[in-house]
Parts: sequence; C-alpha cells; structure tokens
Amino acid sequence: MLKITPAELKSVGKYIHDISGIYLDPSKSYLFETRLGSIAEEHGCASYADLHNKSKRDGSKRIERQIIDAISTNETLFFRDTGPFELLKNKLIPEMIDARAPKSPRLKTNVKIWSAASSTGQELYSVAMTIKELIGAQTDSYNFKLLGTDISDSAVKQASYGKYNKFEIERGLPRPTLQKHFTLFGDSWKIKDEIRAMVNFRKLNLMLPFAGMGKFDIILCRNVAIYFTLQDRKKLFNKLADCLADDGFLIIGSTESLTGVCSRFAPQRHLRSIFYQKK
Amino acid sequence: MNDLTILVVDDDPVIRRLLEQRLGKENYEVLLAEDGYIGNEILSKEHVDVVLTDLMMPGDIGGIEVLEFAKELERNIEVILITAHSSVDTAVEAMKKGASDYLQKPINFTELFLRLEKISTMRSIMRNAEDLRQAMDVTESAAAYTIQNLEMTAETLQSKLDKIEDTLNDDQMDPETKVATSKDIMNNWS
Repeated sequence: MLKITPAELKSVGKYIHDISGIYLDPSKSYLFETRLGSIAEEHGCASYADLHNKSKRDGSKRIERQIIDAISTNETLFFRDTGPFELLKNKLIPEMIDARAPKSPRLKTNVKIWSAASSTGQELYSVAMTIKELIGAQTDSYNFKLLGTDISDSAVKQASYGKYNKFEIERGLPRPTLQKHFTLFGDSWKIKDEIRAMVNFRKLNLMLPFAGMGKFDIILCRNVAIYFTLQDRKKLFNKLADCLADDGFLIIGSTESLTGVCSRFAPQRHLRSIFYQKK
Repeated sequence: MNDLTILVVDDDPVIRRLLEQRLGKENYEVLLAEDGYIGNEILSKEHVDVVLTDLMMPGDIGGIEVLEFAKELERNIEVILITAHSSVDTAVEAMKKGASDYLQKPINFTELFLRLEKISTMRSIMRNAEDLRQAMDVTESAAAYTIQNLEMTAETLQSKLDKIEDTLNDDQMDPETKVATSKDIMNNWS
C-alpha cells in the first residue's frame, strides 16, 4: 500500500474537506491509505500528491467522485436504531398529517420529508415503509414527498435502484416487512414499485448552499455531521433550520447533540428518542 | 477443526459414501440424504451450513427444489450443486436462484475443499462483523442515553440562563428583587 507523507496528509486532507466537507483526522494516516491507495494505483499515481494533482486537473471530475465515494462512510441499515422509526410512526408523522390536513376533503395532505444523508437509501425506504404501514390503502388522500440526498454518486445510484444484497437485507429488516415490500431478485431483493414511487434521490453536498430546496416538514440528518468540523456543523444545522417548516421536526443521530452547535432548535423527548423543533 | 455442517443429497450411494468419507476426513460434520424428500426433511430439522446436492435426482424434488427449499428456510445457507457436464446451463440458472456454486462430475475434491474453505472464511468474517455491530449497538445505545440526558439538561439550564438574563436586564426591578428572582429561577429545577 502506498504510504502517505505528513505534507500530503495536510494537503490531501484539506482537498477532501474542500470537495466533501468531511474532516479526516491527520493522525489517522491509515484512513487515507486504505481508502485512497487503490484509487492512486488505478490512476498510476506514484504518490498521493500526484493523485491530488490529477484529480484537480481532471475536468470530468471522475477521480473526485471516486475519492468522495471512497472517503464517505456508507454504513447504514434498514431501521437503523429503531427509536427514530418508532418516533416517526407513533408521533411525528401522525402529528404532521393532522397539522397538514387540507381545508377541503378533495385536497390531499402534503407532507415533505428529507433524508439529508441518505447513503444507499435504507433510511429513506424505512421511512417510506413506515408511512405505507400507517396510511395503508388510503394513498389517495395523501401526497408524501420523500427526498434522499447524498454526496456519493454511487450511493445515490444504488439508492435509486433500490436493490440490496442479502447482507444488506439481513440487517435490521424483519422478515414480514421484507416479504411485504421487497421482491426477490436472484440472491438480492428489490424494493417494490409502490414504495420506490414515494421516494426520490439526488446528489447533494451538504457544505454547499441549499438553493431551491424549499421547506420540509420532517428532516432526518443522522450520523453525517459527526464527520464534519464544529464550524461546518454549525453552518449545516443553521441551513437545515432555514429549510425546516416552523412547526417541522428534525431528527439527528442517536449519539449526536446540538448543544453548542445550533441554538435555533430545542430538543424534545418522546419515549426513548429525542427530536428537535425550531424555537 | 472445521465448523461447517454439510448435508449431502445424492441418489448415488457410491457418491454419498465417497463424500461422507472425504468430508469426514477433513473434520466436517456430514449428514446424508438419498433423495430430495429426505434432504428437505433433514433441512427442516437440523442445522445445516452447506448443502451439497445433485442436480438431477429421481422423484419430484431435484437439486433446484432442494435449493429453493433451503433458501426459503434459511437465507444464510450455502448450496453447491453437483452436475453432469451436460447440465451446466441448468446449474448456471440455479446460481441465479441463489446457489453459491456448482461442481461438475466427477467431483474434484481439491476444488470442493477450496470452496468450502472460502465459505468458512466468509462465515467467520460475517460473524466478526456481526459481533462488531452488536458491540457498536451496545456502545451506541449507552452513549445515546447519556447524550439525551445531557441534551435535555443543557436545554433546561439554557432556558434558566435566558430567564435570569431577562431578569437582570429588567429595568422595572430593583437590584434586590433581581437577585431574589434570579435565585428563585436557579433553584427551581423544572
């Protein structure tokens, strides 16, 4: 494996932060080496500085995309940490449905939900399955718009395709839920069209301005800000506050905290979970 | 010591005996079935890691049906099909249905042992990953509990500070009342 020099740790670390917002601890050189080594090799680079230069000069941004894919952590699973999904099912979604009840019975209830770091889609599909189980067959009365965004092109691609191998499926997904919402495809499982139709995925760098995102009723931003510096975390949650409806709900990772990060949100406890609302 | 339990399903007694001997020598636990019916029966009763089944067997239950039954029963089960040269296409079809691999007759044991070793390695990596995840879940839920408590406490303290700040900035109050009110806010733990 190609070794990284102290100077490269600094320059490549800064480059990764610039393109993705992800902060890699320079004391963990193995993180750089294990994740970028094979990309450097693939492009015939003699050093990480060489890879850095090639990537900057690459107009197609192919190398940059590869680096982002390699650096971003796609550790996710269906119904990761059951707390937030219980919270959504028992409290947040029913309350939001009531809050958005239309004036005329001929109109639909519009609810917009955003998974800000959707990775390979498991979280957003879990939300979609939760909604489906709540509203049952009354789909005509509701218009749920679910958006998933992620910085990694390959993660967005897999999420959009909605196909998961047995290892991805086995984790977190109860058998009845699997059989209800997925179709077997050889050794893999594909999400059914009725669930797939509820969601949309696209690429988004959380460090850039959220132009034209509009307002969301519920935002999930779980286990992504932990990869950012405090300064970037502050900016991110401030932008999320701008994108959240005044009576909207924010869910962050179960081990994350907004204390000292963003004072625009107040935490509220429900059973074993915490969610946030704007002050 | 190999920790895999292998079910051999084959109607040919010679192949059954041969596999039993060779696999047994490598310390694999071996179960035998002379047709698909018995194979499926064993599958529903015993814990099996790998099924080694002939593709073509007399009766309604051939290798494909054993494969489907095994996969339906336990997603983690690995199925290796034994095929005659002429039925390779069927074996490839079976791979699409979730078979791990196929072997052509006559069985090359070096090849078979290599595949079993790979399955074994894969299983231990998966077990290790599962252990790590469980350890992570335990750590995460303990941390989440602590962090949630801190988050709620921080919120309570912040709102007290805000109230005290308002009190201290209140021009209508004399200094003594400000101090008394601030003390009240501080002591009122709600």
